[in-house]
Amino acid sequence: MTQTAALGPLAGVKILDLTHVWAGPLAVRYLSDLGAEVVKVEAPFGRGPQVFPYAPLGGWLGGEAGDDPWNRNAIFAKLMRNRRSLCIDLKSETGRNTLLELVAEADVLMENFSARAMPSLGLGYEELRRSNKRLIYVTMPGFGHEGPLKERVAFGPTVEAMSGLTEMLGYGPEEPRNTAMALMDPITALNSVAAVVTALQERETSDEGVRIEMSLHEGGVAYSGPWLIDWQLGKPNQSMGNAHPELVPHGVYRCAGADQWLALACCNDDQWRSLAELLGLETSWTRQVRQAHTQQIDAAIDLWLAPLSKQEAAEKLQAIGIAAGPVNTVPDMVADPQVESRGFFVPYERFNTPMPGTPIKMEGVDPDTWSACPALGADNASVLADWLGLSEETIAELASAGVLHDKPPM
Amino acid sequence: MTKVLEVGGYAAGYAGRLFVRAGYDVVRVEQGVKPAWASQQAMNAYLHAGKRRVSLDVPIADLADAADIVICEADRADDLVKLGFDAWSTPVKVALTPFGRTGPHANWVASPNTILAMGGYTNLMGDEERVPLTLPGHYLEFQTGAVGYSAAVAAAYAKRSAVADIGMLETLMSLSQFTTVLWHCAGQIRGRHGSDFWSVAPSDLFRCLDGWVYVNIVPTFWDPFLALLGVPDLVLDTRFETNDGRREHRDDLRELIAGAFIRMTRVEIDERAATYRVPLGVVRTMDHVLAEPHLEERDFWEAIETESGATVKSPGLPYNIANRPRVAHRTEAVR
Repeated sequence: MTQTAALGPLAGVKILDLTHVWAGPLAVRYLSDLGAEVVKVEAPFGRGPQVFPYAPLGGWLGGEAGDDPWNRNAIFAKLMRNRRSLCIDLKSETGRNTLLELVAEADVLMENFSARAMPSLGLGYEELRRSNKRLIYVTMPGFGHEGPLKERVAFGPTVEAMSGLTEMLGYGPEEPRNTAMALMDPITALNSVAAVVTALQERETSDEGVRIEMSLHEGGVAYSGPWLIDWQLGKPNQSMGNAHPELVPHGVYRCAGADQWLALACCNDDQWRSLAELLGLETSWTRQVRQAHTQQIDAAIDLWLAPLSKQEAAEKLQAIGIAAGPVNTVPDMVADPQVESRGFFVPYERFNTPMPGTPIKMEGVDPDTWSACPALGADNASVLADWLGLSEETIAELASAGVLHDKPPM
Repeated sequence: MTKVLEVGGYAAGYAGRLFVRAGYDVVRVEQGVKPAWASQQAMNAYLHAGKRRVSLDVPIADLADAADIVICEADRADDLVKLGFDAWSTPVKVALTPFGRTGPHANWVASPNTILAMGGYTNLMGDEERVPLTLPGHYLEFQTGAVGYSAAVAAAYAKRSAVADIGMLETLMSLSQFTTVLWHCAGQIRGRHGSDFWSVAPSDLFRCLDGWVYVNIVPTFWDPFLALLGVPDLVLDTRFETNDGRREHRDDLRELIAGAFIRMTRVEIDERAATYRVPLGVVRTMDHVLAEPHLEERDFWEAIETESGATVKSPGLPYNIANRPRVAHRTEAVR
């Protein structure tokens, strides 16, 4: 058998990955980093056409489209490590039946299509369960499969507006902002990981599979929990810009150079005494007094920071025990000595492209065992042989019948 | 029942919240009050309902040795050592710290806003010519808590002893969208553009008659969006035929959209979004979220009894495993 899984605690767990875009693939990446064996089930056009009309959002692996641009989309590859690729036409009866045979061998199937997609392929949960009653099935419709909003189109940024976060983020109550980062997706991704490991553990005693529904909307609302409770307790919160309801000073301050900034927080009175000595302010001010002098304190910080680079300022403040950190761009992050020393960015991908690693450092979770994003359909034969025991002849027939692909059709 | 010991702040607290709802017996050791973006009463109700809570003067090593899993959050790597983390005999131990347990910054002082800055989030939020914005709330800690929970349960599933070292900065960087590959593969540094997603137009926040609305109109939805706005003839305007054209004429487009939305109410926009199936989110304030019929119908809320005896609605689990009913929890005082 081709070994593509990492060696973590989920070694032996077989996942069929039918996810796309961000939340789903990110969740599967986390599970693969923990050792799960993942087969990426892809549609022939799942990575786009043979000829791309424009460069993808994150650029090309290696900097150019090359002869196989569909395999070089950097943002796609970033999420697709530690997988084998099976490119199969699920709209054909043979393709659909082959998937159901794979389902019989799988522990987990994850998809994040719209609510209608899987049933329309004849692959709804009940159908999958008939093939494997121990299957853990994860579906991620934006608003869930039930409820008045179930048919609404959901993208991360639009759901964020409905979660409560947009009311709290911004320059003040009259100037709300959206993160414009589709934050509901990484929230849903990590919730999905938690849900899958929970279900795997519970299956050890129940011996039954389960259907898990992830709603982008509920994931976002869950993160607003404390604010929602405060509102019911008669303590409404509101957007405060970069200020904090309890910490003074707390903010983002300008440093020397264009668009260079430093984040700083004074977390207690001890830290304040150190900071006040540095700034030439009154060291005895309590938090309440500091709140009354916020403008004066912020002005003193601005003055002190004006000639300093953000890295230099962070080092000086950390040296006296103040929470401070530069507002980093990606090149700043990559060059950060802490990030370098822990080897967070790892160059397992083609062209030695550095990719974000995993935050989980534990025995068996080893980036040295990771594999790059496979080419589309690169593992058609090995997956069908390893999982289903199909012969070379049968696999060749499936390919010639147009059920299997290794490039997007013309 | 599997025993979990939880030590630390809001990241460990969030992990413990997930353990409680998965049926584990969770004991939380309180270490004093950490600054929060909401009241302590709300934080306790949200995070700690269903746990037993004890004060720091209890023999923590004894509790750890008796537990199956420890989730221990500390402000700095050395604080873990002071707690005795390394000596605990618990089969599964998970350490949550701002920078991880090793490296030159392992003992740097941190707060969520400094980690969000160092992890690349802050640089992307806010307006281009203004100060970047930090993210309010506890995203950083809750996401780290979710990672800690998953690592612990995965180790328990494998029936392995395990020690996990999880850094908040690395958790954040693992969740970057396309910023890292944009730099490494295209040599571009992503900037901030207010609420505008920038690569898709229109994708921005607009004021309406009684609130705000966010739209994210990828090309598939352009025609129905114009119908929603009540300007279907705009489909003939060659400036806006393609996403590239809409990006090029972004300011003109923004003005047109703003002019249409400012005459509509939130309710009207919501109704139109449903009718025309357009990806759009009317900004909900907290009272709107609490009153959302969709969440009521999905039985999303838990009933939590706070320390003061009030019963509040709190979000249920963010995942729905086979339609499990939500449960009620009490917030116990520290003993």
